[in-house]
Amino acid sequence: MTAVLDDLIHPDKVHGSLYTDQAIFADELRKIWYTTWVFVGHESEVPQANDYVRKRLGLQDVVMTRDKDGEVHLLLNRCAHRGNQVCDDDKGNSGSFRCPYHGWTYRNTGELLGYPYNQGYGGKNKLELGMGKVPRVASYQGFVFGSFAAEGPSLIEHLGAAAGEIDRLVGLSPEGRVGLSAGWLQHKTKANWKLLAENETDGYHPQFVHGSIFGVTGSPIGALYSDSSTAVTRNLGNGHSENDLRPEFRKFDEPMRWFGTTADRVPDYVAAMRETHGEDAERRMIEGAPHVMIFPNLFIAEIQVFNIQPVAVGECIQYATAVQLAGGGELNKRMISQSIGSVGPAGMLLADDTEMYERNQRGVETLTPEWLDVRRGLHREQVDENGFTIGTATDETGMRGFWAHYKTLMEA
Amino acid sequence: MTLPGANDRPVGLVENEFASVSVRIDGDGNSARLRVEDLRTGEARFLDPLQLEALVHLVDERLDQLLDPSADRWRHDS
Amino acid sequence: MTAVDASEDLVAVPDGFEVREVEQFLFREARFADENDYDSWEALWTDDALYWVPAGGADIDPINQVSVIYDNRNRISTRMKQVRTGKRYAQAPPSNLRRIIGNIELLGGRHNDEGGVDLEVGANFLAFESRQRGNELWGGRTTYRLRRIDGELRLAYKKVVLVDNDKAIPTMAFLI
Repeated sequence: MTAVLDDLIHPDKVHGSLYTDQAIFADELRKIWYTTWVFVGHESEVPQANDYVRKRLGLQDVVMTRDKDGEVHLLLNRCAHRGNQVCDDDKGNSGSFRCPYHGWTYRNTGELLGYPYNQGYGGKNKLELGMGKVPRVASYQGFVFGSFAAEGPSLIEHLGAAAGEIDRLVGLSPEGRVGLSAGWLQHKTKANWKLLAENETDGYHPQFVHGSIFGVTGSPIGALYSDSSTAVTRNLGNGHSENDLRPEFRKFDEPMRWFGTTADRVPDYVAAMRETHGEDAERRMIEGAPHVMIFPNLFIAEIQVFNIQPVAVGECIQYATAVQLAGGGELNKRMISQSIGSVGPAGMLLADDTEMYERNQRGVETLTPEWLDVRRGLHREQVDENGFTIGTATDETGMRGFWAHYKTLMEA
Repeated sequence: MTLPGANDRPVGLVENEFASVSVRIDGDGNSARLRVEDLRTGEARFLDPLQLEALVHLVDERLDQLLDPSADRWRHDS
Repeated sequence: MTAVDASEDLVAVPDGFEVREVEQFLFREARFADENDYDSWEALWTDDALYWVPAGGADIDPINQVSVIYDNRNRISTRMKQVRTGKRYAQAPPSNLRRIIGNIELLGGRHNDEGGVDLEVGANFLAFESRQRGNELWGGRTTYRLRRIDGELRLAYKKVVLVDNDKAIPTMAFLI
């Protein structure tokens, strides 16, 4: 594979077959989705002991459970007997799961508690079987990730500088916590997952793809991604990238401008932030939420969180929800309302992004000119004070960071 | 004299995808007891306060043993 | 929480609504949507309009849970302005659409905030959508609330419960 990838991934261009080749997709499942840390869900989706919720990790049907002691587990939804699906409901509360096929019963940590008519196995506790488990589960600020690799970098090592972006989101909560408890919109997308991952911090597209909504709402978002914007695109390492809009918001120096509102429109929230964070509250409310793509599938778009999961080489699902800030007061309902307007299958932003993903997929399936160009801004990249490569608001610095990490994993 | 069940106080339905149980506080005895009915089989049993208190103090391992399908419900001799 | 459309809050079918006229209104609304006649479709709505497509069930709390669409009159207007730019790519070119509405029932009356009683109507639908992505069959249950204003029927509420709203669904940028 190494020689092949050297041919397909260059610093300034990537080959179209990366989005269409079944063998490459199969390789990605093994080397990325079933190896590295993948975002699965949030602890706030299983708030009580013995809560569970069904999730996806790559092509795997996963049950995220919270056991009686509060620990979160990712079980594979498959009975150890005949391979039947154990949990059928999307969510529930149960300390144990009973397979409907032959009654095998498991603790919500995956251990087999027993099976009916145990003389057929020579008595009880005779089988060294259980539900499959994602070997490593870790969470950061409640964001739950799973890795099928028994060994490898820790979640903190994987997140690297992107952890600070999650912290920035959580720092907008007067109680220092966020929840993803507003349900998920599930958007079926006929495109390769990488087209989405690349687009999330592509600051070049918003004025074109989203011009229709920016124009009719008078949104200032378009200007953030113009040639004169002071925002930067940052390669955060490990495939993560961000559009750092803080330089623009600092310029205006207005609390809550990042949310498209003013402090007097959300007085309870602003008061709670000042109460908790003192003088630093103003900085937080001026700089706003992150716009960060965390490799391979977690996208935090200010007030929305996306979970991207592949289905096939040319299909994936975008799960999207609104961030809920603990102690966020009136802001939380506004975040839900704004998210409904923006994302999901009818969203006034994401439906258009998704249309582009799907047209892009059809485009890359045609044979020539074979390559996708990712050189925008390569000649003007700089290194910031923390050693990260940065480009301007519209440069493809994030995509190049994505591909560099992708290549590392695929060559491993 | 009252008809059986006349002193019942329904507590509600407790169910998930694995089991459906209806719970009532039964008042037909000389003092209150809980009536728990497995709606999938129609079988029911009464639990008096001391039994319920025992459940509260049951160590988790003992409860897990009760969940073994072979322990009581699907025994080879049942 | 009490569902915003709890059936126990329904009163008797209010006077002044005739089944044939109601059906004709629903068919007209469907045709405007099928033919992407945005101006005519938007003009059907009352000022207190609510256009709702829930996700993950029929009776979610739309204030605290995300929906596919939860548009008040203002947001309907924004949605229509966006699509009229011709650069709402998810609907440019527009989908080719035809839908069938059936099982129309007058469910009852519901008190509105203006002191009147709206007619609540239930119906099933199947919509066939064709666009370059492929063909899509959409199906579900629609609850309408109709009000007579200056002699004309108007639409105050339309809730569309897709039968598959608990699953991943493709882009739905047309008027469902």
